[in-house]
Amino acid sequence: MESKSSGSATNLVDQLVYPGDVVLDLSSMTNQTIKLGGGLRQDCDVISVMKAGRLRFSKPNKYWVESSQKRYVPHAEDSVLGIVVDSRSDNFLVDIKGPAIAFLPVLAFEGGTRRNIPKFEVGALLYVRVVKANPGMNPELSCTDASGKAGEYGVLKEGYMFECSTGLSRMLLSSPTCPVLDTLGKKLSFEIAVGLNGRVWVIASSPPTTIIVANALINSEPLSGVQQKIMAEKLLQRVQ
Amino acid sequence: MEQRLANCWRLTVNEKKFIESALLSDVRVDGRGPLDYRKLNIKFGKNDGSAEVQLGETRVMSYVSAQLVQPYRDRPNEGTLSIFTEFSPMADPSFEPGRPGESAVELGRIIDRGLRESRAIDTESLCILSAKLVWAIRVDIHILDNAGNLVDAANIAALASLLTFRRPECSLGGEDGQQVVVHPPEVREPLPLIIHHLPVAVTFGYFSNENLVVLDPTYHEEAVMTGRMTATLNANGDVCAIQKPGGQEISHRVIMHCLRLAHVKAGDMTAKIKDAVEKHNTERALQKIKRHSSSVAVDVCGTTASLGGKQNQSDGDKEGSRLDQLKLKDETKSMECDATSSAQVQSNKKDGSSKNFVGGPSSWDPYSDCVNSDLLKASLASRGHSTPSKKKDSRRETKPEEPQNEVKIDSAPMDTALTSGQSNEGKTLKDAVKPKHKRKKKKGSSNNAN
Repeated sequence: MESKSSGSATNLVDQLVYPGDVVLDLSSMTNQTIKLGGGLRQDCDVISVMKAGRLRFSKPNKYWVESSQKRYVPHAEDSVLGIVVDSRSDNFLVDIKGPAIAFLPVLAFEGGTRRNIPKFEVGALLYVRVVKANPGMNPELSCTDASGKAGEYGVLKEGYMFECSTGLSRMLLSSPTCPVLDTLGKKLSFEIAVGLNGRVWVIASSPPTTIIVANALINSEPLSGVQQKIMAEKLLQRVQ
Repeated sequence: MEQRLANCWRLTVNEKKFIESALLSDVRVDGRGPLDYRKLNIKFGKNDGSAEVQLGETRVMSYVSAQLVQPYRDRPNEGTLSIFTEFSPMADPSFEPGRPGESAVELGRIIDRGLRESRAIDTESLCILSAKLVWAIRVDIHILDNAGNLVDAANIAALASLLTFRRPECSLGGEDGQQVVVHPPEVREPLPLIIHHLPVAVTFGYFSNENLVVLDPTYHEEAVMTGRMTATLNANGDVCAIQKPGGQEISHRVIMHCLRLAHVKAGDMTAKIKDAVEKHNTERALQKIKRHSSSVAVDVCGTTASLGGKQNQSDGDKEGSRLDQLKLKDETKSMECDATSSAQVQSNKKDGSSKNFVGGPSSWDPYSDCVNSDLLKASLASRGHSTPSKKKDSRRETKPEEPQNEVKIDSAPMDTALTSGQSNEGKTLKDAVKPKHKRKKKKGSSNNAN
């Protein structure tokens, strides 16, 4: 796993890799286009790892390193949960747990014009999409999807939000549905909004149910699929 | 400016509304009831007087040190106690390094008031030379992780570290008796502080709805609550200090209710702290004994001989070292040790020099900790009832009959114990080299004799 020998990438896919590990030797592969995601970098003829995590591969040619941490680094096209911090004349300042405050233009809503600018109080929770995220600049957000429709973006009312690591967010958004959500969904009815920046919003019919769901999700991070099912079932049994 | 905005934790309106509405149904966000404490874990460091407390996710570390200084002029016979707090920036993004902020000073003051006003630490025993040299005890509290309710956690850490702190022993010497000799720990066993009682801080949080009161608030609850009160009480129900820093007004009925709650919680907390300290002390004593287990021969005669030489040291934790012996060796050996130690007691009594009660093998062990007078009094008092005391619990690891036997012997009042103990001990000494089953019979007959 930590071997520095440049094996073909298939050895290391889905394995833990550390900075300095060589993942691909380009001299042995000719006439191929490889797409590199986060955590990888090209050093002349080799692709080496920059960030510790798991190496992932998706057909036909995408490689990236996935790691779970509390910090969020904004990327374009991520759906995140933001908290309104302030409002200016032309955009809202929204905190998305990244290194810089993000801007949400006041017109970035479906059918948004100067006449119907929404009013958000400080501390409002929004489900937004990251439009632009360049290093060193404040990220730009939008409450519409790429085609201009609102979709589910917008303000989230009531409910409870908790913070988690980016790994848990990705797990909750994975398909097929993550086992803990499946098991909880069989007995309880609730709605969640997961932000890739490590924030999750939960709402259910009553506060105790919301608390059960939130705690189950927080505790499911280190567990495998089967363990998650068992944990969720035990929790539900205790409650009912 | 926007850079600074990005780095703090923010409260959403959703969370504020949710926490309050959940409390109306008597649930808190982490599943606790409104009056439940989070899980408490007390760990001790290698040095005497260092403790780390984990209350849920909140972590606080405390370290006690002592220095010889000149006393204050208006209190020439008393030592001093001072508390220093450090809010490390790794605990919370809003903590800045450098001078303590307002909350750091407040935390230090609450703990200081609880210990000083109630005179929990006996400062007069810290005086070496009146008006010239006294011990200045310094407690340093470091906040490692802020997940709410720092005051309670820091208070527990301070108490735990004060209970396990040992200061060097000093004696006066020189021609005029004015020279102070500080003995290093290898030469003379360091002494514990004299602590009369444990003032435990209990923090309450109030919300905009008057009937909502929570105990041990978490970080999020602290951001939402509108008022707080910290009551410092000891297990006897004495109120040592109360702190209510502004915030929402509370009716006196609610305050009295909270004080009663705090009394119950203080009792629980005191028991937990004492348990943890006791466990730590016995582990430490165990370690010290293990070091010399090779020198303390299994052979009975050899043990007696080596014990004889160490007869004169009378300090030591009698119950503690006895426990250690029992745990350390297997049954036969422990019997022998008891036999020899009881022989020790016997010879001590013959000398008339011991103040040992029955069952005190401590005199031969020079490395065990000094006895905590409160613990000693408590355990001696509990002996009379022969109820399962703490020491009995650990003795269950060895033969079950044996502790009963010892407790029985112990339970007799001192005078009769001296005589009957001697005769009993006499029997067991002779039997020390005999096989186990015979010893059992003898013990049975000695029981009958009792």
